[in-house]
Amino acid sequence: MAGILIRMKLAILRRSMTGGKATWMVVGGVIGIVLAGATIWLSLLDGTDPHVVADLLAAVYLMWALGWVIGPIWGGATVLRVEHFALLSVPRRRLAFGLLGAAFVGITTAVTLLGFLSLIVYAARLGVVPALVAVPGVVLQLIFVVLLSRVAMAVFGVVARSRTGAAFTGAVIAAMMVLAQSGWMVYVAIQVSGVLTTGFGPGFRTTVRAVPSGWALVAVESADTGDWWLVLAALAGLAALIVLLLLAWSRTLGSPRRARATIRGSRDARPARGGLYAGSAGPMLRKELRTWWRDPLRTQSVFVPVVWALGTALLPLTFDSKLLLPWAAPALAVMAGAAVSNLYGQDGTALWMTLLTGSERADLRGRQLAYLLIFGPITLVVAVVCTVWSGQTWTWPWVLALTPAMLGGGAGLGALVSVVALAPGPDAHKRPDNPLEHGDTTGQANLMVWGGLLPGIPAGALLGFGTVYDNAFLLWAAVPVGVATGVLLAWWLGNVAVRRLEARGAELLFLMRTGRTSTSVKIDVPKRAVWASIAGWTFGSIALFPQGIVPMIVLAAGLEVKSWFLALYLPGALQWPTAAVMVLLGGWLYYVAIKAAIASKPSAPSGDAAEPAEQQPAEFESV
Amino acid sequence: METLARHDADASHPGGGEAAPAFRLTGLHKVFADNVAVDHVDLTVPRGSFFGLVGPNGAGKTTALSMAVGLLRPDEGRSEVFGVDVWSDPVQAKAIMGVLPDGLAMPERLTGRELLTFIGQLRGIPDDVVAQRTQELLDVMELNDAERTLVVDYSTGMRKKLGLATALLHAPRLLVLDEPFEAVDPVSAAALKAILLRFVAAGGSVLLSSHVMPLVEQLCDTVAVMAKGRVVAAGRLDEVRGDGTLEETFVRLVGVEVGHGEGLSWLAS
Repeated sequence: MAGILIRMKLAILRRSMTGGKATWMVVGGVIGIVLAGATIWLSLLDGTDPHVVADLLAAVYLMWALGWVIGPIWGGATVLRVEHFALLSVPRRRLAFGLLGAAFVGITTAVTLLGFLSLIVYAARLGVVPALVAVPGVVLQLIFVVLLSRVAMAVFGVVARSRTGAAFTGAVIAAMMVLAQSGWMVYVAIQVSGVLTTGFGPGFRTTVRAVPSGWALVAVESADTGDWWLVLAALAGLAALIVLLLLAWSRTLGSPRRARATIRGSRDARPARGGLYAGSAGPMLRKELRTWWRDPLRTQSVFVPVVWALGTALLPLTFDSKLLLPWAAPALAVMAGAAVSNLYGQDGTALWMTLLTGSERADLRGRQLAYLLIFGPITLVVAVVCTVWSGQTWTWPWVLALTPAMLGGGAGLGALVSVVALAPGPDAHKRPDNPLEHGDTTGQANLMVWGGLLPGIPAGALLGFGTVYDNAFLLWAAVPVGVATGVLLAWWLGNVAVRRLEARGAELLFLMRTGRTSTSVKIDVPKRAVWASIAGWTFGSIALFPQGIVPMIVLAAGLEVKSWFLALYLPGALQWPTAAVMVLLGGWLYYVAIKAAIASKPSAPSGDAAEPAEQQPAEFESV
Repeated sequence: METLARHDADASHPGGGEAAPAFRLTGLHKVFADNVAVDHVDLTVPRGSFFGLVGPNGAGKTTALSMAVGLLRPDEGRSEVFGVDVWSDPVQAKAIMGVLPDGLAMPERLTGRELLTFIGQLRGIPDDVVAQRTQELLDVMELNDAERTLVVDYSTGMRKKLGLATALLHAPRLLVLDEPFEAVDPVSAAALKAILLRFVAAGGSVLLSSHVMPLVEQLCDTVAVMAKGRVVAAGRLDEVRGDGTLEETFVRLVGVEVGHGEGLSWLAS
């Protein structure tokens, strides 16, 4: 079962790996490898107290687990969707096993495994027995996070069928994001406060170990101290948890769809043209506002930035600091941009109506206006309330200048990204079981969040000068500049997007219908190339990182660690050359893998003459 | 019956002006990766004709129609509605035709009435006319009971009927309908057929694709048969089918000979 599903997943992935998508995947993979490398580096830290390293690792594992829960919010639908198998006469539990097996095939899982190897590295520092305990620990921990992600996604999907539920999931996700990033703040605090030598408080140590993401580490530590019952309890606990999650997940598979949402309707509403709804964009604005109000996915994407911004700003209140309060509004404005990074992808092939009525401009402007009408008032209230509450009067020009610049910039940039980097996903009526399913917008959301900071530059420059020269005029001049930047960017970038939509509308529709760009070629990777590619990435990663670069770092830092690093078991003179050879070998294997993927791109003649345009290929799911 | 604008489907007329046919596709061509979906298709839909485009699954009907109405950019070829080029003058071309594509989404979080109202407004129809036409269309399509249901929760047949309503709303002169009767119940289908026949009788033109032969025989006066991306026959219904039925002609033209009862011997054995 798992074998078939894995082959199926690989086949789908192979055919959807085109152009932009491949680029996003490679970028994501590299970032993941860097994060995994950082985790391994943590396990090698030379603190006076090895338990401090363990504390750090436990905290980082918690962040990895949270990442797995939050990830699907942007990562979107899984490649293999349960609906595809709903009619198979396979017991749900067996299907769950199979899908779980297939879930392990993916860049994210590989990267996470790499990161979790840090536990073995750390255990090897303690001794052979802990290292042996760490091996099942890592395996269980990996299964745990993958399953947790699946269960969380299913639960969110069920809860989000109603709008209240969608709001709730949005708030939960935002809370997790706040928690994950605060973990990072804790880490920075460590570097500054020298906690590596002084150690953590008992509360922190207990918490990070009490949550399941820390249990494998507990097993390793207990193996070191000879606490065998605790080793057994930790590992068995993790295994039991996995079984529970698997049972829960298999129950959600193929469950019948729930009741439909009904709405009040608008039988007696007349077509409106006055006030807000005047002009050609008026009807589209009204349509968009209704959609924001009724679509659980949109409800969720309103709640995520709001709760995230408030959570981030309010968290320091726990140690009586109001420092971050005024910045809630600009942060909200930036994060809100991520909600509009895929406006057209969310609505799917409904674009045909816009194209056939020739209303591209009205449609896009209507969407921008709706965004500003939804997030504008919320952001303004947050700005005023939080700044007044903080009592930091000097921040007023900052808040009032940056917020409109970023809000308007988000409206412009979001429209542009939606059109230029559209992420196709399943059409709404084809995913009735989970309103939260959508295309993979991880890259787009990141682009919006980081790119969303840029509109603040003109106002920021004035604010900077005003602060340096203590000039009130410069400071307050930043406010109209910020407003003007926002208006100008929303108008200008929106205009670029409109023209692009008018020129390339048919291509965007094709992309959403088929999940492929019309210029892409059909990839028919020969079997050998697939294996060369997989082997290249796998062994290349092992050679390059744990056997190449990491031993070099260990050697350079003069650490007394051997772990499973081949180079470090060799006599002194051979250590550096061995690591270097490993780096070269890893690089070469990467080269082989990339070459295998590229060489197979030009289309090979294929036997089937049936044309695929009339089918709706199910290839638009993401990784 | 108005017969003034009846021509053979492949009759050629100089483009533009009053003489231009309702729809003319010239050399439409589309290649996906390594397979030719639509291979230099020429098709002329005379004014006032009820034109049926038939072909097996995967013949390229949807691809051809998508290119013809401006939803998929052709690699080569032209498409003209009453002499107006769909790709170089889309605004005017799209104003005079109504289109029902197959299997595409709609703005899903609206009710049928809201959707029709917005589309009407976008088409620039006065508000009172939009309201009145919307009401009539909902009545005819029997979608009035679904006032509290969002389009996302519509059944396949309801989606089809709503799509058809959006195509009719602006009183176009040409209707392009991709599989309009698929999943539509018999009662609604009868109502739709009556509407379409009345539309043609009043001088409108219809191009519909289908693989239900009796339906095409019942409704259409002109037909074209597509197979493997090519038009293999086109003309008046009587000419194309000759003495036999359209189905027999179709099977002969498409050339798919299925061994009667020989395959699938493992089934129910």
